[in-house]
Amino acid sequence: MRRLRIPGVLWLGLLGAVLLALPLVVTSRFAIDIFIRVLLFSFIGVAWNLIGGYAKQLSLGHAAYFGLGAYTSTILQIRFGISPWIGMFAGGAVAMLASLPIGALCFRLRGPYFAIATIATAQVLMLLFLKFRDFAWGAEGTTIPNLGNAPLMMQFDAKAAYYYIPLGLLAIGLAITYRIERSWMGYYLVAIGEDEDAAEAIGVNALRIKRDIYLISAFLTALAGTFYVQYIYFIDPQTAFSFNISVEAALVSIVGGIGTLWGPVIGTVLLEATSALLQSWLGSSLGGIQLTVYSLILIAVILWRPTGLLGVLKDAYARIVHNSALAKKATLDG
Amino acid sequence: MVTTLAQAVVNGLLIGGIYALVSIGVTLIFGVVKIVNFAQGEFVMIGMYITYFLADRYGIDPLLSLAVSMPVLFLIGVALQHFLIRRVLGLGDMPQIFLTFALSLLLMNLALLLFTANYRTVQTPYSDAAFYFGPLYFPVAKLIAFGLAMVLSGILWIFLHTTDMGKAMRAAAQKPEVAMLMGINPDRVFCVAVGVSLALAGAAGSLLMPFYPASPMAGQVFVLMAFVAVVLGTLGNVKGALVASLMMGVAESLGIQFVGADSGLIVVFLMLLLTLAFRPTGLAGGGAR
Repeated sequence: MRRLRIPGVLWLGLLGAVLLALPLVVTSRFAIDIFIRVLLFSFIGVAWNLIGGYAKQLSLGHAAYFGLGAYTSTILQIRFGISPWIGMFAGGAVAMLASLPIGALCFRLRGPYFAIATIATAQVLMLLFLKFRDFAWGAEGTTIPNLGNAPLMMQFDAKAAYYYIPLGLLAIGLAITYRIERSWMGYYLVAIGEDEDAAEAIGVNALRIKRDIYLISAFLTALAGTFYVQYIYFIDPQTAFSFNISVEAALVSIVGGIGTLWGPVIGTVLLEATSALLQSWLGSSLGGIQLTVYSLILIAVILWRPTGLLGVLKDAYARIVHNSALAKKATLDG
Repeated sequence: MVTTLAQAVVNGLLIGGIYALVSIGVTLIFGVVKIVNFAQGEFVMIGMYITYFLADRYGIDPLLSLAVSMPVLFLIGVALQHFLIRRVLGLGDMPQIFLTFALSLLLMNLALLLFTANYRTVQTPYSDAAFYFGPLYFPVAKLIAFGLAMVLSGILWIFLHTTDMGKAMRAAAQKPEVAMLMGINPDRVFCVAVGVSLALAGAAGSLLMPFYPASPMAGQVFVLMAFVAVVLGTLGNVKGALVASLMMGVAESLGIQFVGADSGLIVVFLMLLLTLAFRPTGLAGGGAR
């Protein structure tokens, strides 16, 4: 008996079609706002996962690149009239440049020291941008000039139009991850993540691999930063270099499934859905409830399911397949 | 100029005493249990709220509430080790880092939910008192906090070097396997180490209250300072953490005095990054891995 198998590509096509059609069907601004958040934080999680998940370099400072991306495109737009579409990639380039010295410093450290050093780098950048009053508006920040419907300047009348940018970013991020996962680099990354000394002993140049993947991760994170400020029309150091960005990037990957292709997406869906539910139940009056729940979920995952939600789903799927196989065998035997 | 400089050094040393209590706690847990406790600042915050409510409801002086905050935090520490940290030991970096990190987020946001973001202060007769020693200005509350912080650090040192439990702790820190062979029960030693460490954080909270407002985020500054001081003073080294904390206090204070009021943290972070770049094993040497 051959079971009819639907190939993965078809599933992916189906998922893509649903996601593309979603804003045409669901028109509530509240819902679209949530979709955009889910796509954007999935993408940031995917970017974090490259260095944090596969290579297990647990960065808590990805806000550094998010902020550099956001500030680069905003400065180019407001001071020089350059489109954020170009500014986005300029921001990515700036983030890559910044990741070199930051990486050179932080990659000398392991485990918790690496995490602490990355926190410090993001904080230093935030404190510096608070001081840059002349070209970066200091602590007050600035609003992005509203140009009405200007697609060439990444501004749209329809909220739904914004949806497609993080969707495209997420598709790119997942495609890059998929490619890397199956390349020699992916295997090197996992080897480094498992045991860096052992990887080096068999000839993996750990420092070079970590540097390269950090460049990619920083670049992608910066793209998210540009989109975010264009979407909320405002930038200041507290928003752009927010510690919460660094935290959420790591959180969604760990909750979903660290070092897996879809982990960050699944984690973001769960956390953002929880957060949206909480908001509709309690209103936004209760400050702190969202992160309280997030941290409880994180503690639960760490204590009971370190492979994340994806591990839970896989186990459940395996059990169903196993059970139905047993049942089939029983009917055949019987 | 010389007076300004000396005054900045005095201010830095006085607050450095509080940093030392937090840093010694971090370094003690790290040395014995091999965990970096990202939530240490939140236990300072809990100590502050305990002190605040005792003062607010029952009019108990912050210094007297040391007798409450320290034992309460000690018990929280024993429970923390027994129910949470124990379960992630030996599981790799991710669970070890993110367990205490999640705990830090949890406590901070629970405090925000329960107590709101309002700053809470306790006014004591000595809160605004100060005296001059020559041209130098000494606020009494900070001086008391510094003095008691040094006394507590001294008691800890005596505890580590003269009592059986203290010696067991140092043994477990240096060679855990051998310590176990010598009949040291690691679970008990770990529980006491985390308990003592949190008791110090609680003490820091109580000592801060007469001159520093409590808020859900209040612990953040102290834990960042502690991380820098602990890296600077070599992880797991109590004396190193003490000296480095006093240095951090002075560095921050000089930054505020000579670069600008909001530059204290930049100076501290830059010190951390420079230390990591040039002396990743800390000033006292030894393994930083």
